Amino acid sequence: MATMMNPIENEELNGHFVVIHPLDDRPETKVDTESFGPMAMTASVRLSLLSLRAYLLLMMLLVFYRVVVLAGWFGHHA
Amino acid sequence: MNNKVLIVPAAGAATEVVAPVRGRVVKSKRTRDLLTFLMVFGPGLIVMVADNDAGAVSTYSQAGAQYGTHLLWLVLLLLPVTYFIQEMVVRLGIATGKGHAAMIYQRFGKWWGLFSLVDLELVNFLTLVTEFAAINLALTKMGFDPRLGVPLVAAGLVLITVTGSYRRWERTVVLLCLLDLAWFAIAFGLRPPFAQVVRGSLVPGLPPGGITADLMFLVIAIVGTTVAPWQLFFQQSCIADKRLRFADVKWARLDTFLGACITITVAACMMIAGNASLAHGFKFTDPAQMAVDLGGFAGGFVRNAILLLMINAAVLGTTAISLSSAWAYGEVRGWPHSLQLPWRQAKGFYLVYVLCVGAAAGLVLIPGAPLQLIILGVQVLAGVMLPSAIIFLQLLLNDKELLGEYANKPWNNWVNWSIITVLFALSLILAAQVAAPNLFPAA
Repeated sequence: MATMMNPIENEELNGHFVVIHPLDDRPETKVDTESFGPMAMTASVRLSLLSLRAYLLLMMLLVFYRVVVLAGWFGHHA
Repeated sequence: MNNKVLIVPAAGAATEVVAPVRGRVVKSKRTRDLLTFLMVFGPGLIVMVADNDAGAVSTYSQAGAQYGTHLLWLVLLLLPVTYFIQEMVVRLGIATGKGHAAMIYQRFGKWWGLFSLVDLELVNFLTLVTEFAAINLALTKMGFDPRLGVPLVAAGLVLITVTGSYRRWERTVVLLCLLDLAWFAIAFGLRPPFAQVVRGSLVPGLPPGGITADLMFLVIAIVGTTVAPWQLFFQQSCIADKRLRFADVKWARLDTFLGACITITVAACMMIAGNASLAHGFKFTDPAQMAVDLGGFAGGFVRNAILLLMINAAVLGTTAISLSSAWAYGEVRGWPHSLQLPWRQAKGFYLVYVLCVGAAAGLVLIPGAPLQLIILGVQVLAGVMLPSAIIFLQLLLNDKELLGEYANKPWNNWVNWSIITVLFALSLILAAQVAAPNLFPAA
């Protein structure tokens, strides 16, 4: 889980502030995403994603068909 | 301000060898904040300004040339939309330190990961072809031979990226982004009708003629060009590559917000340029021709500035889109994928970038290539893909197990689901229009 960490930059140093570019800074510990594995999904979310998958496939086929027709590959223009 | 460079050993150095941390010492909190912002600044500006790519220049100027200032309100309405979507990417990128493609693979599994990747790479490549088509067009209007100019631009795009320094790439691209501000000078120089501009921006309404097929297509194209799927992948990978930290969230948000403000106002300037073309009775064919038409009465500066800005827009779009492809592919294949790495340590990553740029540049130089069909395909596919890409983002941002305090709040979800609903409605209208071209009356 991600939590706010103490910033390394902006550290107060005897009344001064130290500002560090992210690329010069020590690597920060991030969320260990690999330890989580696939997201737990409810049945409705799973169904929605399946519908979305079907919709996208259908739309891509439809776009492909339309482009092919416009290109005149069927021998005529729509 | 005391601008000394301070080198302090990293914590824990007593037990392990850790590279020293380089920092700048400043005295006041205000200077500290300004310097921190300038160090974090970049990904948000680049993703937003690069979104005003060649296709966007064409779409916005066409909107102005066909409907005057009547659609300015729509562009302004897209400011919060584009900001809210990219702000989610900021949180996800900073919390995980990983790119969007990697997150989809890890949290939704290989099938969805592959599906998203193929969609992204396909639409990205088609978009790149449109970028080079615009470069080709603008160079031709400027009197340069595109057979020489296009390969030179492609070589420049490769050179700015393969230096092995993220900072060098970012500084170059930020400079190119700032050149986009010249649109303000162009719009102002064209003496826009200020009262009409204010009314068109603040009072939503339909242009004379009502809802037509052309208007619907243009509205969808405006939405599709302002919020594009590659932006999600690009900004998250860029944030991961720059190694932004949790403490940088607020500055990264500000960077994104400033970028959104700039890109939307520049888009409005493009519409104003189109409006000037309409006011002088020119028929819009493409932005390069519009530049020539406007130059006829506004002078050679306006003509050349618009043509150069078209090339600049295409260059920005190309570097950002090609990088989003290369990062996504590198993340999924597990290859080293960072602009900080020299060529020999990240060959696969750089090769994808070079292939994207090279193939798109080569395709536009083929005589008789079906560029118009590719442009149509890009607009339609991007419109179709966008809502689904945002749904993944929305699901990831609601993953409290993963993001903890960085997960979406209820109000974020209300806003985002409203945006997704509108985008889906537009996507369905687009689908209906593709399936039945006579659905709406002709203009």
